[in-house]
Amino acid sequence: MSPNPFAALGLPERPDLDDETVRAAWRAIAAATHPDRADGGDLARYTQASAAFAELRTPWGRSEAYADLVEGAWREGRFDDDDDEPGTAPLPTAPAAAPLQLHPVSPWQLLLALVWLPSRIRRGRPLRLLIRGAIAAGLSLAVLALIHGQPAAPADVAALITWFVLTGRRDLAPPPER
Amino acid sequence: MTVWSWLRLTAGLWLMRKALRGTRWLLAFAIVVVAWPLTLVTLSGYGVAWWRGWPPARLGRTAACSLAMLPVWLAVAAIHVHQLRAAALDGVRAWAHGWPPHLPVLAAARTFVLLAPATVPAGLALAAGSWAWRKYAITAGLGGRTASAPITFDNRQWKRQVRTAKGLNDAPGAVPLVGRGGTIPVGGTIRAIGHHWDPVFTLPATACTRHMVIVGATGSGKTNLMIRLQAGWFTATLDAARAGRGNRPLLVVLDCKGGQDARRKADRTRRLLYGAGARRVVVWPDEAALSLWDVPARDLAVLLYQMIETGTGAAAYYADILQAVLSLAVTAPGGPPLNATAFLDRLGAKWLARAWSDGRHPREAALVHAAARHLPDIQLRLATLLERLGPALDGTGTLADADAWYFILEGTRERSVAEAQALALTELAAHAATNPYGEPRTMLLAADDYSAVSGRVPLSNLYERGRSLGIGLQVSAQSWQGLGATQDERYRIAATADGGIFVLHTPYPEPLTALAGKRRVLDTARKLVGNSWGDEGMTREQRAWTADPDIIRRLDIGQACYIHRGAATFVQVARPRPSPLTLLPPPASEPPPVRLPAPRPAAGPNPWPSPAGPNLDDIFGSGGAR
Repeated sequence: MSPNPFAALGLPERPDLDDETVRAAWRAIAAATHPDRADGGDLARYTQASAAFAELRTPWGRSEAYADLVEGAWREGRFDDDDDEPGTAPLPTAPAAAPLQLHPVSPWQLLLALVWLPSRIRRGRPLRLLIRGAIAAGLSLAVLALIHGQPAAPADVAALITWFVLTGRRDLAPPPER
Repeated sequence: MTVWSWLRLTAGLWLMRKALRGTRWLLAFAIVVVAWPLTLVTLSGYGVAWWRGWPPARLGRTAACSLAMLPVWLAVAAIHVHQLRAAALDGVRAWAHGWPPHLPVLAAARTFVLLAPATVPAGLALAAGSWAWRKYAITAGLGGRTASAPITFDNRQWKRQVRTAKGLNDAPGAVPLVGRGGTIPVGGTIRAIGHHWDPVFTLPATACTRHMVIVGATGSGKTNLMIRLQAGWFTATLDAARAGRGNRPLLVVLDCKGGQDARRKADRTRRLLYGAGARRVVVWPDEAALSLWDVPARDLAVLLYQMIETGTGAAAYYADILQAVLSLAVTAPGGPPLNATAFLDRLGAKWLARAWSDGRHPREAALVHAAARHLPDIQLRLATLLERLGPALDGTGTLADADAWYFILEGTRERSVAEAQALALTELAAHAATNPYGEPRTMLLAADDYSAVSGRVPLSNLYERGRSLGIGLQVSAQSWQGLGATQDERYRIAATADGGIFVLHTPYPEPLTALAGKRRVLDTARKLVGNSWGDEGMTREQRAWTADPDIIRRLDIGQACYIHRGAATFVQVARPRPSPLTLLPPPASEPPPVRLPAPRPAAGPNPWPSPAGPNLDDIFGSGGAR
């Protein structure tokens, strides 16, 4: 089995790929490398892609493979924040023997949440978030255009913003240690 | 009355009934058309609830949330008081002239958004009511075109509810390891019966600090569920400790089946716990060793005795001798032994005699003298036991050294060894929980497939032990039978699981689902005329399972039923994943090296006992006859 099944199928290393994407990648490689082709195909490549597809065909398998990559990246010490390898976002390491610090709730946590927001968007489902945002923004603009100056307009826009906030937060990655 | 007049009366009454019914329908239709914005919202809400398998409560909450539009509208209108009347009239005018057949789409849209602050909450509330009525009618047998309608409806709704729950689990931020207020999210709710419904099913962390039972066949997702609960409990407890509201967590996991699969699970658990803020997670026996000899002397003597196979009947005589010798060796003046080598040295007659011959312990000295001829046998048995247990219980570590310990016991390959190890480890956990000199820790003891090692300590004993020590206990078994040896024991375990019972796919869930009890349902029998319903029927109150065993038998991988306090919630368990923003910190310090016990000295000829020593029966009584 390939050490990186995502690479074997030419897919980005993400745990949230959908079934269709994985299947399409597999079919493309299989069609190009199948041993029954007139040109003999590429047995090694086909075998590698088959094994990778068997591993990644279910959401569970993709999550497992992604988790293995995270662990591999950790063991190899690849902690570069700028590259897109999985599990390489830096966090300060804490010595094992050090006593745990108590962190009382403070207003700074709000600021911290804002600081984390871009990373949470990037590591979550940014495309879906973008679509939700576009829908909310589009409908808000439509409402403002239709009933400009009416008291119902702010109410409708407030409802759209509420909808975006309540549903969009699921598309964010959880904050660290959550 | 003539026949003619009777016929006229009958026909008149029939016509009146039909006219009344027709008028009613026409009136309803007129209201639906006139109030078309409200109708649109109601139909949309109803359709979405039907398609997504939502319960009416979900629509009700959405309606409540959308009520916020109304105060905003009123507030804005109040700011511009002079516009309030105009705004209201504008909305009414737009509605009056905004019926779709007469005006273009834009005008209709304008009408809709003008009235939205009122029609959206009202429409969603109406949809919730309509959907609740539909569900009630179908479930009670009042609705549906065919007799099988309730079954078909329920099956379809189940599929939609599962699809919605899976979709929720796929969202990266929907089911984190720990929720607000220290709750533990488990996964998307499929169906709640008697429990409060929430899109994501969560447990309070306190549920894990009590006793929880998880039953599921192999491959049903039991391990995944356990890991999620453990990581959630750890995160919630650590957060509470950081906020000064409790002690640091100590997670102790006993994987009682062992093998390579256990090591994969251990790795997953470790990754999660590091992501949750753990500093040190140790896999035993691969990475570190514990010291069995940390247990208090008297408990250690009992423990060593329990770890040896003693048998019954005539063997009880020798069991008494064994127990006495172990007690003499461990509780000797000068403290308990520090390691296995020192302990085995103590089982020599010379050592024991020297230890107890200080003149202050004549009874113990006499016991040593009496048991002397059995000492080589006892030493041999103990040496064999400690050899089989391996070096991982003869190290220098303690449970307090790490945030979490993952113990892998080879219960499938070496059952007797694993049983003895389980015995020792639970004793060490009990010692850690009651040690007055160590840092107090909040402890969760999780035993996966404990039935593989329950020979020495039945699960019920472990349960009661944990309860008495204040340790949270989480046990899993592959089936109802795996929970205990007898029916009584199984019931005792399941019925006292005050943290709740998770039942995953298992072929015999009835004893567990019976704990959820039954609920009152309405059952309607209707008379069939030809192939259609007649006008006659009867509704009776019946009893149905709260947690339907047939649904549990059909549960897919990762689906579970949580039973607690006479209610049940079906949940699609989400795979636990650490936040991608968390870097898994490597252990900053190397784990303590596994210390192998020093080679034991070769057993030499024993000069003891002296021929003039007391008879053993004088000391222990005639135990052989027992």
